[in-house]
Amino acid sequence: MIDLFVSVLRTGTPMIYVAMAGVLAQRAGVWNLGLEGLMITGACAAVVLTEQTGSVLLGLGGAILFSVLLSALLWLVIEKLRANPIIAGLGLTGLGLGGTDFAVQAIYGSEGAVTAPAGIPNLGPAFGPFGVLDALVIAMPCVVFGLWVLCRRTRFGLRLAACGEHPFAARSVGADPARMRLIALLLGGVLAGLGGAELSLGGLQIFSVGMTAGRGFMAFSAVIFGAGHPIGATFAALFFALVEFLGIKAQLVFGEHAPRDFVLMLPYLATVLGIWISARFRGGALLSATEMRDG
Amino acid sequence: MGGRLLAIGRAVAFVALALVLCGAIFELAGFSAPDMFAAILDGAFLSDGALAHDLRWACPLFVSAAGVIVAFRCGYFNVGAQGQFYMGAIGATVAVALLPGWPALLVTLVALLAALAFGGLWALWPGWLRIRSGTDEVITTLMGNFIAGLFLIWVTSGPLKDPSGSGQVTSSTPVPAAIRISTDTGVSGWIIGLTVAVGLVTWVLVNRTAFGVLGGLAGRNPVMVTWQGARLSRLGLGAFVFSGATAGLAGAMEVLGPDGRLVSGFSPAHGFTAVLIALVANLSVSGGVIVALFFGGLASASLYLPVIAGLPSAAIDMVNAAIALFITSRVAPWRLVRVPRSRSERR
Repeated sequence: MIDLFVSVLRTGTPMIYVAMAGVLAQRAGVWNLGLEGLMITGACAAVVLTEQTGSVLLGLGGAILFSVLLSALLWLVIEKLRANPIIAGLGLTGLGLGGTDFAVQAIYGSEGAVTAPAGIPNLGPAFGPFGVLDALVIAMPCVVFGLWVLCRRTRFGLRLAACGEHPFAARSVGADPARMRLIALLLGGVLAGLGGAELSLGGLQIFSVGMTAGRGFMAFSAVIFGAGHPIGATFAALFFALVEFLGIKAQLVFGEHAPRDFVLMLPYLATVLGIWISARFRGGALLSATEMRDG
Repeated sequence: MGGRLLAIGRAVAFVALALVLCGAIFELAGFSAPDMFAAILDGAFLSDGALAHDLRWACPLFVSAAGVIVAFRCGYFNVGAQGQFYMGAIGATVAVALLPGWPALLVTLVALLAALAFGGLWALWPGWLRIRSGTDEVITTLMGNFIAGLFLIWVTSGPLKDPSGSGQVTSSTPVPAAIRISTDTGVSGWIIGLTVAVGLVTWVLVNRTAFGVLGGLAGRNPVMVTWQGARLSRLGLGAFVFSGATAGLAGAMEVLGPDGRLVSGFSPAHGFTAVLIALVANLSVSGGVIVALFFGGLASASLYLPVIAGLPSAAIDMVNAAIALFITSRVAPWRLVRVPRSRSERR
């Protein structure tokens, strides 16, 4: 049971950080499909910088920096160039996936995995089975709670929600929706960068090309499944992590009878199930693609 | 006509902007951006036989893009071309494997039909979820891509595995030469014929049928279309299945054509590039022809870059992604300098 708890927490935490970035963007009225790109950029920058400098702190800082830069680029394209957020987000994701691939090939000369000499510090063997939990996993509940306070208990959160739901109303009380979206996306960039860093530096301390494998999209789905609420999104992400864990367990127990590729499909199927449930019981997509289509 | 010229100008300008952004990143990474673009240009369009290679990549890309154009016009963001492409390829390979000893031409035709059916079915479920319960199709089709990719790995390493195959990449047994629709060059009467046929069918569908007109309206104003008495659900499902079927056909064109076998994880950028072609062409079928040739060139250049210029092939992925980032912008780049605060809707 402890095994399950620890494992789900470790798998879920990167997704939760990224989902928090998605919550902020969602509340500000941006469908951030660039999360996958931010996550892989954070994962890559964290490991590469740690490997080059030997400092985990610099690695984390680099992950945040690059993720924030990409978020700013997304904001520029969506707000100033008025591009379709969905396509621009997918473009950002492609830029992250291609850019990290390019960077690894340019720096190391091949597409092989990069290993960092150190990882994010964890609790250590003194804590028994909980010893493998690292600083970002421990900080995760605080971050989620902090985001809940920010979104639901502050003036800023209220204005942010107003900008997302009714920009005209927000403007009438003096909030500039474009500026609020910039703040939400930049703050989200910090969180998504940390999520990516936790994915690579938190576990095996390895970065390999395309290692996010859709986890950023899953985090985005967790936001929808969790109705744009920080705590809802957290539990949605934990649910996806649980499905992944059960799949791996099933493989260990049933061996040949649970083919690896089908087990790997489970989280994706759970994601489809999750957003189908939220559409079915809360009424369709928050903003249909049609409304956001480039007229 | 002026509007169309302006649209072309905007597309070219944003592609140029994307190239500048990538050029800046290449410079930062220590490569010479002009040399890099020269290498891409050379590999894509100028070197010997480059145009034939372009055509080899452009044909399947155009076929997939034609479907994307139809779905996007109807207002459905089917970004699952990659998964539907894989499923079509699997369908064609299964048909070939199940019909040994049949006349070659018959097997080819059945394989193509199987690809259409598999691709169409793989687009049917996201379409159904979208239309029945409003499930966001962007996520379902993206997840469908990952699932189809894993299914392809399973198929090529399990039921259809080539027992004599070696190395890291698994693949199916080669398709017999008589059944294939082209040699390894990927340019043949079959391939060109199929591409032209899909182009014509799509053009007629979009421009000359009630489906196309209503679909185009539904993409802009779904409520109005229901007031006109059209069945939005049927229209939407049709768009999904059509786009899935064309992507599936493109998959068969790869397996029965230049690839000659089903390879695990082949053409990983196909679906994204097809979506990009549709967008750069501003969802016009005729425009898609030229744009597909351009992206076909980039696709073939991505194979040459590491060999000729010693550059990472991911550079092309970055160029493509940067184009996607900018291409739907509604403010022309030359007007960015002084965007009015009133957010006027002018295009």
